[in-house]
Amino acid sequence: MDSPDNRIGIVAVVSLLMLSSFSIVAVAQNSDAGEGSIAWGLILCLLPFMILALFGILWSLAYPALFIWGAAFSSGDVEKSHQDAISRRMVSREKAGKEILNTINGGYRGDVSSSGLVHANGVFGPSHWQLLIAFFNNLVGGSVTSFQQVISAGRAEVMQRLREQAEAQGWDEVINVRIDTSSMTPQSQNNKNTVRGVEIFAYGTGIRYD
Amino acid sequence: MEQVVNGILVVNTETIPGKIITETMGVVSGSTVRAKHLGKDIFAGLRNIVGGELTQYTELLQESRQEAVGRMVSDAMSIGATAVVNVRFATSAITSGAAELFAYGTAVKYE
Repeated sequence: MDSPDNRIGIVAVVSLLMLSSFSIVAVAQNSDAGEGSIAWGLILCLLPFMILALFGILWSLAYPALFIWGAAFSSGDVEKSHQDAISRRMVSREKAGKEILNTINGGYRGDVSSSGLVHANGVFGPSHWQLLIAFFNNLVGGSVTSFQQVISAGRAEVMQRLREQAEAQGWDEVINVRIDTSSMTPQSQNNKNTVRGVEIFAYGTGIRYD
Repeated sequence: MEQVVNGILVVNTETIPGKIITETMGVVSGSTVRAKHLGKDIFAGLRNIVGGELTQYTELLQESRQEAVGRMVSDAMSIGATAVVNVRFATSAITSGAAELFAYGTAVKYE
């Protein structure tokens, strides 16, 4: 089975083997050579840890910058994408002459010629700034506006994707539309550095009239 | 233009619009667990700080859902059905970055 998972495993194992054999060769060489090769052997052995440390340094530099970027632009971006989805919705509604999505189960017209499954999805997450705002909102109680904006903008976007998908596949209408919302974050929170996102998934049955 | 996957018609309504179901053949299902490679996970983590859509995970779930539907369809093919009706999806996050997608429905024959 030539799946990408297998290939990734092979590449990882081969690179680890190469790294260890290089370091062994380097250490073996230094027994008859001078002190310079001992240093090289050490460097080769420590290379993975050095790369990890480099990532740590980069992360500690990048995190505050990204956090400030998020604080400055995230709520504006959410608002913009919501407006964008609404305007695209108007365009596709004009093109079809009506709203093509509905939640009626079963064909209510007799002249259906073909049908099939249509689905669209998207994963949306609040920025860390919005998480912080939500934390303070939770202390006071009431509606958590920052989350609500993210979710409703995401849902509008996914519904629009479903409309566009139905248009692209040539369906006249999509019946029995269902919207699922599921958290990408696992329930057991051992580590804090998990990605927080909500997946919105919309699916329905596209039908075509004669 | 019939949207068929390997000759099997898939809908999420209880009946097939415009067709008559003659025989039900039981529940068929397909599931898959997939993950993105570490690089994409790191990018998703960075994107999460700024907020907005996590495109890597959107792709991941899209691919895995198609795979789950494909497995459900081959399950239906193996018992000789011609359509799957009333399809439902279930999602559960096992760890961050890997998700289990489950698709199930009723295998039927129609005319």
